[in-house]
Amino acid sequence: MKKPIITFARWGNYTIAFKTLFEQLGLEVIPPEKTNSQTIAEGAKIAPEMYCFPMKVTLGNYLPALKKGANTIFMVQNVGGSCRQRYYGAIQEKVLKETGHDINFLDFRAAPKDIYSAIKKISNASFWQIIKAGRFFFKKLRLIEKIEKVAQYYRPREIEKGMTDKILTESFSKLEELKKEKDFPKLKREIFKKLSEIKIEENKDLPKVALVGEIYTVCDPTINFEVESKLGREGVEVHREMDITYHLKKLIFPWKDWIIQKKINPYLKSTVGGHGRDAIYEMLHYIKEDFDGIIHLLPFQCMPEVTVRPILEKIHRESGIPFLSISLDEQTAEAGIDTRLEAFIDVVRNYHQSKKSKI
Amino acid sequence: MIIGIPRALIYWKQPYFWESFFENLGFKVLLSPPTNKEIVEMGVKVADPETCFSNKVYWGHLLWLDGKCDLIFVPRLKANEEKLEYCPKFFGLPDLAQILVKTPILTETFDRRKEETKKALERLGKKLKKNKEEIKKAAGTAFLKEKELKEKEEQEFFKKIQSKKQKLVLVSHPYNLYDDYVNLRMKEKLEKLGAEPIFIDEVPIKSQISNLKYRASINGSEGEEEDEVLFASQNLNWPKFHWEFGKELMERIEVALNYRIAGAIEISSFGCGCDAVIKEFVEKTFKQNRIPFLYLMIDEQTGEAGIQTRLEAFMDTI
Repeated sequence: MKKPIITFARWGNYTIAFKTLFEQLGLEVIPPEKTNSQTIAEGAKIAPEMYCFPMKVTLGNYLPALKKGANTIFMVQNVGGSCRQRYYGAIQEKVLKETGHDINFLDFRAAPKDIYSAIKKISNASFWQIIKAGRFFFKKLRLIEKIEKVAQYYRPREIEKGMTDKILTESFSKLEELKKEKDFPKLKREIFKKLSEIKIEENKDLPKVALVGEIYTVCDPTINFEVESKLGREGVEVHREMDITYHLKKLIFPWKDWIIQKKINPYLKSTVGGHGRDAIYEMLHYIKEDFDGIIHLLPFQCMPEVTVRPILEKIHRESGIPFLSISLDEQTAEAGIDTRLEAFIDVVRNYHQSKKSKI
Repeated sequence: MIIGIPRALIYWKQPYFWESFFENLGFKVLLSPPTNKEIVEMGVKVADPETCFSNKVYWGHLLWLDGKCDLIFVPRLKANEEKLEYCPKFFGLPDLAQILVKTPILTETFDRRKEETKKALERLGKKLKKNKEEIKKAAGTAFLKEKELKEKEEQEFFKKIQSKKQKLVLVSHPYNLYDDYVNLRMKEKLEKLGAEPIFIDEVPIKSQISNLKYRASINGSEGEEEDEVLFASQNLNWPKFHWEFGKELMERIEVALNYRIAGAIEISSFGCGCDAVIKEFVEKTFKQNRIPFLYLMIDEQTGEAGIQTRLEAFMDTI
């Protein structure tokens, strides 16, 4: 067998953590290309037309990496349960082979045991090496998620506009370069020190908006046209619960699903695949937390999210909370999204003001 | 009491069963009329713009029934006897239906991974204040009727397969194949063009066919070869589907490939997420076996003239 050179599906800032995972296992990695309009177009060109958007995006991300010499692709299936995500691997493998790429496709279930055996097979790493790589991966992953959360707080409050995003980009590139686990605590302290040095207006009364919806579009800023930072810069505090940790927690603790089901029973009595139920649960939760708006992000024609959208709209009508649903695909233009966001921010501000004046 | 059943989508998964089941229980059943222009328009108006065309048609049927009956029956189909799942859009149907119409929705979950259909039917009966005995009898009669129809269908298939005309296999979901308005009377059109359309639903699944009948029908051979020989010649590869229709469609295609078919047409409703996956493998299978393949997408804006032209062109290539 040829020496495996790995590439994998890109996923926002988490790509850094995945890259580290493979590197620590002693594998050669060519990270997938950063998503831009060109990779999206390339992916959409060879993907089945009716397939959902994240599949086309990740496919487009592989292509430049494959050109650079990668020959093995890692893909996790079964993240979405009943939805099309299951077949991403099968379809991508088929499409890539049909377009003349000689690749080795590793498609495995997202259960810890399967992931372990797939990694073991490809890397020949020892048990301890895998454990260590896994630990480092989780450390980085947690840090990325934490930084993102902190940035959500700082962005609308910063005095010098754009400071937070600047530090964020710097931190992520430093984190990507970090190779040794023992240097990790130092970098972590450094990043948080820098973040805390951002001058902010405390006690500012800000409207709060929550992002709900499909995990990939919600978490990847390059796909959703940086909704998070755009809202932040306009002085809106953004929250989101959906991230990898959230998803993993649900995998490890299945009763979390049961709790969610109990909360959303008046609206939906069954799973609909993917994170359909979670969107309803989160929306109800955020309304209780007195938020001023909900943005629902989904890939165009995403089966679970489209199924729950009428329910979200019903909740929106009942509670009066501003609600915006944005579907994304390769034909979505940034200008269109910007206009809709601007209008939405106005609605959110009005809603926030009117709530205050009632008290 | 009148129970309304929308004649769309999941109705076609088990046509006649529910109708006869409720009638046996002594209820009046109101079936919505065959899909027409008004129904589609009503559905499209209220539906989420990104949901699939078949779903939009279903909403139209629901709205037609709204107010005309006491209960509307919308079952929640989750998994079939092989423990394979239905389309995830079916899971939420009763909840979404309740948002849409004022008439109360009668529903029950059918999940063969967890329990027998009998138990689910008993629970359904309880909601209608019927005891177990009555349910058992009603379901029994309904199943018998369904079986009868299936057998008739199978015989039809063997009659059709002997036909001298060019045989075309129509691959799609039952709710596209049997709804004449939705598929723009595809069957009629093909017959006019001189072909013999065979619905993929009519093709028996391998395990269903009795050996004798099966062998006799293949070019009149007496069945000296083993079944394995017959199937080994084909190049089949597709992932293990967790959707019931995925597995079923592919298996039926596998059987259909044993006969001399002139071409295959797949009809898919716009926005169908599952078809996006299955189409890839259906197309691949037919192409590998060198059978001309046409893929048609239908939605509320499909024009009859456009379809006619494409069908004519396809017939010319065969």
